[in-house]
Amino acid sequence: MIERTPVLNFFTHLAMLVGIILAALPIYIVFVASSHDFQTVNIVPMPLTPGYSLVENYTKVWTKSDFGTKFVNSFIVATGVTIGKIAIAAITAFSIVFFNYRLKMLFFWLIFVTLMLPLEVRIVPTYAVAANALSPIQGVLNGLFNAPALLLGLIGIEGLPQVALKLPEWNLLNSYTGLILPLVATATGTFLFRQFFLTVPAELVEASKMDGAGPIRFFWDVLLPLSKTNMAALATIMFVYAWNQYLWPLLVTTRPEMTTATMQLQKLVPGPLFGQPPVWNEAMAGTLIVMLPPLLVVIFMQGYFVRGLISADK
Amino acid sequence: MNSRTLVAAGLSAIATIAGASAASAQNRVKFDYWYGLTGQLGEVMALHCKRFNDSQTRFEAVCTGQGGYDKAEQNTIAAFRSRQHPTIVQIYDAGTVNFMLSGATYNAVNFVKDFNMKVKWDDFFPGISNYYATSKGEMWSFPYNSSTALLYFNKDHFAKVGQNEAPKTIESWFDTVRKIKAGGHAETGFCFDFDTWMPLEQFSAIHNLPIATRNNGYDGLDAEMTFNKTKFADYMKDWKKLLDEGAAKIQTAQTGKTILQAFADGSCSTMLSSVANHGVMHSTAKQGLNWGVGMLPVYAGTERKNSLVGGASLWVMAGKSKEEYEAAAAFLDFVLSTPEVKWMPTVTGYIPITQSAFKALDNEGFYGQPDKQGREIAMQSLTFTPPTPISRGIRLGNFTQIRAEIRSELEAAFTGKKDMQAALDEAVSRSNGILRRFEQTFRGKQLP
Amino acid sequence: MDRRATFKSTWLAFALIAPQLILVFIFFYWPAAQSLFWALTLEAPFGGATQFVGLQNFETVFSDKLYWNSVRVSILFALSSTTLTMVMALLLASFVDRQLAGYRVYRFVYFWPYAIAAPAVGLAFRFIFAPDAGFVSSINKVFPNLWNPALDGLDAFILIVIANSWKMIAYSFIFFLAGLQAIPRTITEAAAMDGAGVLRRLWDLQLPLLAPTFFFLLVINITESFVDSFGIVDIITGGGPARATDLMVFKIYSDGFKGLDYSMAAAQSIVLMVLVVSLTFVQFRYVEKRVHYA
Repeated sequence: MIERTPVLNFFTHLAMLVGIILAALPIYIVFVASSHDFQTVNIVPMPLTPGYSLVENYTKVWTKSDFGTKFVNSFIVATGVTIGKIAIAAITAFSIVFFNYRLKMLFFWLIFVTLMLPLEVRIVPTYAVAANALSPIQGVLNGLFNAPALLLGLIGIEGLPQVALKLPEWNLLNSYTGLILPLVATATGTFLFRQFFLTVPAELVEASKMDGAGPIRFFWDVLLPLSKTNMAALATIMFVYAWNQYLWPLLVTTRPEMTTATMQLQKLVPGPLFGQPPVWNEAMAGTLIVMLPPLLVVIFMQGYFVRGLISADK
Repeated sequence: MNSRTLVAAGLSAIATIAGASAASAQNRVKFDYWYGLTGQLGEVMALHCKRFNDSQTRFEAVCTGQGGYDKAEQNTIAAFRSRQHPTIVQIYDAGTVNFMLSGATYNAVNFVKDFNMKVKWDDFFPGISNYYATSKGEMWSFPYNSSTALLYFNKDHFAKVGQNEAPKTIESWFDTVRKIKAGGHAETGFCFDFDTWMPLEQFSAIHNLPIATRNNGYDGLDAEMTFNKTKFADYMKDWKKLLDEGAAKIQTAQTGKTILQAFADGSCSTMLSSVANHGVMHSTAKQGLNWGVGMLPVYAGTERKNSLVGGASLWVMAGKSKEEYEAAAAFLDFVLSTPEVKWMPTVTGYIPITQSAFKALDNEGFYGQPDKQGREIAMQSLTFTPPTPISRGIRLGNFTQIRAEIRSELEAAFTGKKDMQAALDEAVSRSNGILRRFEQTFRGKQLP
Repeated sequence: MDRRATFKSTWLAFALIAPQLILVFIFFYWPAAQSLFWALTLEAPFGGATQFVGLQNFETVFSDKLYWNSVRVSILFALSSTTLTMVMALLLASFVDRQLAGYRVYRFVYFWPYAIAAPAVGLAFRFIFAPDAGFVSSINKVFPNLWNPALDGLDAFILIVIANSWKMIAYSFIFFLAGLQAIPRTITEAAAMDGAGVLRRLWDLQLPLLAPTFFFLLVINITESFVDSFGIVDIITGGGPARATDLMVFKIYSDGFKGLDYSMAAAQSIVLMVLVVSLTFVQFRYVEKRVHYA
């Protein structure tokens, strides 16, 4: 850019080419494997040029796995998560960064900690919640209503009537809500928005206040327009995140018509039971089909994404 | 907003699809059936449902593959806790104890009576029904897809070292394996993975060796593992010796080639595997592969006993409506009827589970068909002797986890991280830990 | 954080944060509380009578050497994959930031892996690196047994680190790049005028300005290596061979959900939560303080 550094430039190019190979080669190998027939894909080493069974493998895997239905489901879930997450993350971060109140740090930590405990480790209780999303609220209400009775019980006064509240059940299993809501609950986007809002110059707030704008006006007229590229970045992240969800959909959906595309991955390679051989060519075709939509989103959104982050760090 | 339009479009599309499928299935009583098998065998499960649904108009089975036996069990338990469980579930041999103690099932004996089912318990092969029966001999689940273990051998490799049939003893088997390797007739003479079902469970049954006290756990939850002190330990040391000599090889899905693939492409001369794979072998063996099967070999001088049944049984779960149970009863009667029991072996390697179906198949010349030859050996192996208190089966709490512990220790021993005996001792002490925890969890409960 | 200008309306602040709080309460804190309850009891798989056992589950966990093995493996995994990821990402980002001919193509390709689901990465890498099939197996034809993640614990560990980093590099790369590009050209150009070479500029000027990004990525990468590795381990190694890749999250999942010992798994998740939260807290206290938001 500014000066001529031919040697350094050469090495930069060399390193970047190596980087390209590292990034693209696995995808290329997946592609090649998906284009061979079953015998060829098992030859060691596998040929590095594409074979002739491409169309056959893809058609077979597409129909066998019923990817048509699964793609519709995945799109609905990914879109739902993206929109829900952006909305919630924006207002949450707004509250955390632009307001001053006593519980702020506590709330921030309460939300931030959720980043740390993955779904996998609390899978069974979370599943129970999905079976009845109102059960936690019911639990708390019951606790509150019965607290006097329990406390009195502790000091020896018995016989106060215990209230047994019964809220209706709200079953989220096998529903889009069940697939979407728990993913919206995570804190990734909130953290990103917080980082961005922290970089918004204080003068903007002051100027806005000077104009007599309240917090909502400021949020709507100043902050959101500023966050456009940021939102594009988050939308990309959330879409990819939601599309790639694996364990949660596996658990909350038991009906085939509700399953998502990524879940199908584990069905492509049979379990270790009795050592059934993996059909690698079809598995790799399926892998490529599943990874394509988020890849396209990333490719199309990449410009926004980078710009969104640049403004985030200024 | 674009995305909103997208959601709306997507939702309406789904609504249409859902509406359409609901309309076509109106008036039929539906019930949920979850199965564990995947791959080719999973497709057969789906097909079996379709056969049922096509066979009549009153009921409809909604069948869902859960992506593995273990997942079928886990998902059923999670679902039961949230009262979202299926009416029928396919549970593998290792999950039997968990379900017996669960209090979450509708016992098969009672179910058959309550819904006037046609099932005849004594028509099942005793080796199959005993495995799933309570200690008092009551059936709490319905035997379904069943198999046993066989030795698969490459006839061409064997012929090159002057062997024309399957080895009867472990000594002659290993001898042949060594000769094949020494003569360079195959890449490896014997390939194995770390699955415990063949080397531990089947081996112990046919040698009438206990793997745990209290008759392998049938007599109580206080059983303790003993397999580190039986001939099984020598058996594993012999495997290790073969491995160290280079005559045997480890093949797992992680190495990129399972034992089945290695056998199918001719690089490996012998393997131990389920008869369920007999059909799979026919469809995946490389052109011209000349192979056969034999009963699992025993150490010379052993009085051979029956081998164990593997596979899964069908459990009816508690807490469903009468209509769903009627539908479930119709389904079970259907899949356990002689024509259907006969159908299963024609599309898979599974064995016919009832004596009448076996006889019918035999009379029709099923076992004489070129691609079915050898299947009868599985029947001979399973019915070799009447089951003894040891060869009846294994009834240990949380057996899935015990298998996983043994597997890990075997991995450590075979990859040279540990001495074999030390690994087996460790496996036993860890398994005992699991058993004690299980006993404590179910304190006050008795095995039925 | 409190230095900035703020609004005063507390009720509005509460209203804005309420939806997220309700969601995390329902889908996070309630289940976590349930885990804590299970950690103190013996929970039968199908539910029903639960016995209160106090700290027995924790005692069992802490006295189990295999548990410490998984702690060790997890920490090693977090360290090595975070280091590998961040070093590679920073290198690539600073290369691309030089905007030599064709840099758009590089940027374009480097970001691809981010889009790919962990299980898909797992499947692809398992195939590519399988010792008997696929691609890397040809190395074993020349040097037998040089590479065998199925049998050699170290190889398996390297494999999951590579797979995880391959996936995570893209994310860190794009953030580093954005960070670098956010540094006004005028500053770098001024430095160049003063005679600072490319490398000197990178070291003295650009890297310090990247500190906030660096901190953000450090948190994310360490968290992800504890959390998102599940899909990769599940598909590539299943925790083996001989527990060489038995990460804490995977162990919790396999003890609890697979092994049906909810109580033992619950005790482990409580330990993990305490561990990761304190780790993050330390990062926040000591690292963020040194980082300046412009």
